[in-house]
Amino acid sequence: MTSLTREVAAVARLELAEVLRSRWMVFCGAVYALLAGAFVLVGLRESSLLGFSGMGRVLLSFCHALVLLLPLLALTATGQVVNRAREDGTLELLFSLPVRRGAFFVAVSGVRYTALVVPLVVLMLGMSLLGQLAFGQGVPWGFLLRAVAVCAALLLAFVGLGIAVSTLVRSQARAMIWLLTLWALGVALIDFGLVGLMLQWRLDPRTVFLLAALNPVQAARMALLSGVTPDLSVLGPVGFFLANRLGGAGLFAVGTLWPVAVGLGAWAHALRRFQRSDLV
Amino acid sequence: MRIELKAVRKRFGGAEALKGITLSVPSGRRVALIGPNGSGKSTLLRSLLGLVECEGEVRLDGRSPFEDRLEVARRLAYVPQVAPQLGAPVEDVVALVARTRALAPEAIARLAARLELDVDALRGRPFRALSGGMKQKLLIALALASDASLLVMDEPTASLDARARERFFALCEEQAPGRTLVLCSHRLEELRHLAGHVVSLDDGRVTYDGPAEDFLAGRGLAVVEVATGSAEAAGWLEARGFRTGLRGWWVRTLSQAEKRELVPELAHELGRGMSDLRVRDVETVEVSHGGD
Repeated sequence: MTSLTREVAAVARLELAEVLRSRWMVFCGAVYALLAGAFVLVGLRESSLLGFSGMGRVLLSFCHALVLLLPLLALTATGQVVNRAREDGTLELLFSLPVRRGAFFVAVSGVRYTALVVPLVVLMLGMSLLGQLAFGQGVPWGFLLRAVAVCAALLLAFVGLGIAVSTLVRSQARAMIWLLTLWALGVALIDFGLVGLMLQWRLDPRTVFLLAALNPVQAARMALLSGVTPDLSVLGPVGFFLANRLGGAGLFAVGTLWPVAVGLGAWAHALRRFQRSDLV
Repeated sequence: MRIELKAVRKRFGGAEALKGITLSVPSGRRVALIGPNGSGKSTLLRSLLGLVECEGEVRLDGRSPFEDRLEVARRLAYVPQVAPQLGAPVEDVVALVARTRALAPEAIARLAARLELDVDALRGRPFRALSGGMKQKLLIALALASDASLLVMDEPTASLDARARERFFALCEEQAPGRTLVLCSHRLEELRHLAGHVVSLDDGRVTYDGPAEDFLAGRGLAVVEVATGSAEAAGWLEARGFRTGLRGWWVRTLSQAEKRELVPELAHELGRGMSDLRVRDVETVEVSHGGD
């Protein structure tokens, strides 16, 4: 084991213990479970939604709710990690040890991301298997993998943004305002919402299109629906435009890669600042 | 480890915390860093730890702690005054330090045991759930277990009881003589036990840099309390700066030098007019005014 991996492992162990003991983890698990339970109970009917029926429909509805909820969970999980460690003296103690700043950053981000993704994957898999065993529904493996990829990409985007906020905004109270603003923007700037704003405030359609296209939440939503027939009423104007230009596979690729790029970009910027700035 | 600071300045927004500090601490010296709140002590400690970047030069054995923080941190150990609020269990905190410093966890446990802290019994308990004294003992054990050539301690005995302080001082006595110690403290007891040299800061500047003995002679405080029923004695005490305290005692806080002059004078002048006398040293050092 190299010294860097040893440092990452040591800090990750500390962070994992922190996460497992925190109320946030319980809250996150409860939200996932409640949502999954509700969709399983009401969704496993013989109705269909956008061509999906049975378990596929349950997963589609579940993921649609998650697209709005995951950013909030990711931001609350990460948005006060670095600034709290700075304020309570953790950074002071930690960096009096031979621990690289990058090792701390990787460990904290990795643990928080894993703590968000793993329960979700287990839950989706569990829901699918439950549908198969208890209700005789086939497992829609293709959609399941697609949904996991979209959720993982969306979580990465907002984990990166949350870590960036917690690094760049020193005050925890101010960071919370930034986090809620980011979430509200992510949820509001999807194309359906923007079309409403455009009509209300006569916004330039190109601005609306650009804002929606840059929003990772919108990208994830498009990727989730990339398997359905391109329909304006379902995909929205941005998704409809991109689906017709790129096709289903292209839409899925853009919709998953763009959130990943946003998350990694924000994370890398925060890491650069963290490595060059005062730690306390 | 040798410490060299040349014209070190640090600014936080509009406020300048360090205003051109120049200081040299040879290897093996035990230095107490003292000064009133806001004098720049914490910033100076943090600059030594490489946690903040300063103008000027900070060198530990020729290396910049900010630029070469990893290398410097391998040879430096730190005891903070305020323990971080870690939710991780004690065994994970010990494992972190043991792994990063390539130490055996047993060595840390043995040192903690010398401070009457049973690490094995506490291993599953969250660090933040420990009492203030327990946290401090563990942090001291984590620092002293390393073979660091520079020990930086910020008020290390602030949360310790008298017995634990004695044990801590005994442990420090056993440290290798080549180890440099930088101690941030106002406690007379710590200074007497641990420091041979004092650096006093005020408003971001060095106001004293010399032997601890000389510094303490000028700045150690004492309290003299006199009980008397005599109106004549009361007048004499009032004329010498005494003020009435609780239950008719006359009280004056004064320097050690003043105390040495006043006590014999008191005994001589008041004699039988004095029904009781108490003289005690204050356990903190006067730091509100810079020295020469």
